[in-house]
Amino acid sequence: MKVSLVWHTPNPERTIAVAMRRCYSTKPIEDIEVELEQKGREYWKYLLTRALQDKSLDVFEHYCLELLIEDTPEAEMRRVATAYPFIRLLPLNGRDWLVAMNARTLIEMWRDEIHKPFASTIVERLNANGTSPVFNSVVFGV
Amino acid sequence: MRVKLLSHTELEAVKYVLRVKNVSFDPSQLLDHVVYMFEIEDCSRVTTHQLVRHRLASYDQESQRFSSASREGFVTPPSVQSNESAMRVYDQALKAAYQAFESMIALGVPKEDARYVLPNAIKTKLVMTVTAKSLMHIVWQRTALQAQWEIKEVVNVMLNLAREATPELWTKIIER
Repeated sequence: MKVSLVWHTPNPERTIAVAMRRCYSTKPIEDIEVELEQKGREYWKYLLTRALQDKSLDVFEHYCLELLIEDTPEAEMRRVATAYPFIRLLPLNGRDWLVAMNARTLIEMWRDEIHKPFASTIVERLNANGTSPVFNSVVFGV
Repeated sequence: MRVKLLSHTELEAVKYVLRVKNVSFDPSQLLDHVVYMFEIEDCSRVTTHQLVRHRLASYDQESQRFSSASREGFVTPPSVQSNESAMRVYDQALKAAYQAFESMIALGVPKEDARYVLPNAIKTKLVMTVTAKSLMHIVWQRTALQAQWEIKEVVNVMLNLAREATPELWTKIIER
C-alpha cells in the first residue's frame, strides 16, 4: 500500500483551531484568524489537546484530506469504506484509489486496532511530507 | 449576512492524478471528493436551524452558552420591515426578550439558561465544511421557489462562491 497526499485543507491546525474558537467567540472569522496567528503554534497545540480531551472530535472534521492510495486490493478498501461511511472512494484502475476523508475519521481509524495499520500508513505520509506536525504530534504522538 | 469561502479542494491536483492514471475526468464522479469550507456570519438562528438539518456536512457554530447576545444582533425579515405596525410589535418583542435575558444574567442566572428567552431572530456565526455533492443537494432544496428568503440568500452566495472556485465542476454538472 502506497499513500500519496493529493490535497489537504491549507493550514490544517489553524483551521481546526478556528473551528474550535468559532464556538466560543463572537468575532468575525478574520479576527479569529489574526488572534490565532498571533498566539502561535503552542496555542493551537493547547486547543487541539483540549478538543481531544473533551472528545470534541467534530472540529477535526474541517481538516480534509484527498489521498492517492496505490497497490491496495479492492476487498481491503471496501472493508475500510464500510467501517467508516465518511470515507469516499473513487476506483482508478485495478488496485489504485482516490480517497477523500477527514481528520476525525483518521483519528477514529487510528484508535481502532483493526484499522490502525491502515491509518498509520496515512499518518506516516503526513509526517514524511511535514503536513500538520502539531496535529500529528498531539493526536498520534509522532 | 456574510458568507466567505475559507478553503476548497484544488480540482487541478485531483485532475493531475486522473491524468497520470489515465482516467478520464468526469465531474460527477468527483462530487464526493471536492470539499468547501465556509464561514457564515450574521444570519438568524432560524436559518441555521434549517441549514444544519443537512446532515452530510460538518458544522461548528457560535455557542450561546458562552457568547453574549447584543441588542443589535437580530435579523428583521423584509415582510416585517415593510410593515410599520408589525415592525413595532417585532421591536417590542425583541426588546422584551433581550431585557429579560439581561435581567436574568444580572440575577446570576448562567448564560446557558438565560438564553432560553432569546428569540430565533438572533444573529449567529458558524463554519461549515461540505462536499460538492451535499452542497448541490442543499442548493437544490434551499433555492427552490418555496424556500425561505434568508436561507435562499445564504445558499445562493455559497453556490456562487463554489462555482467561482471550481467552475469546471459546477458548469459541467449544471449543463447536464
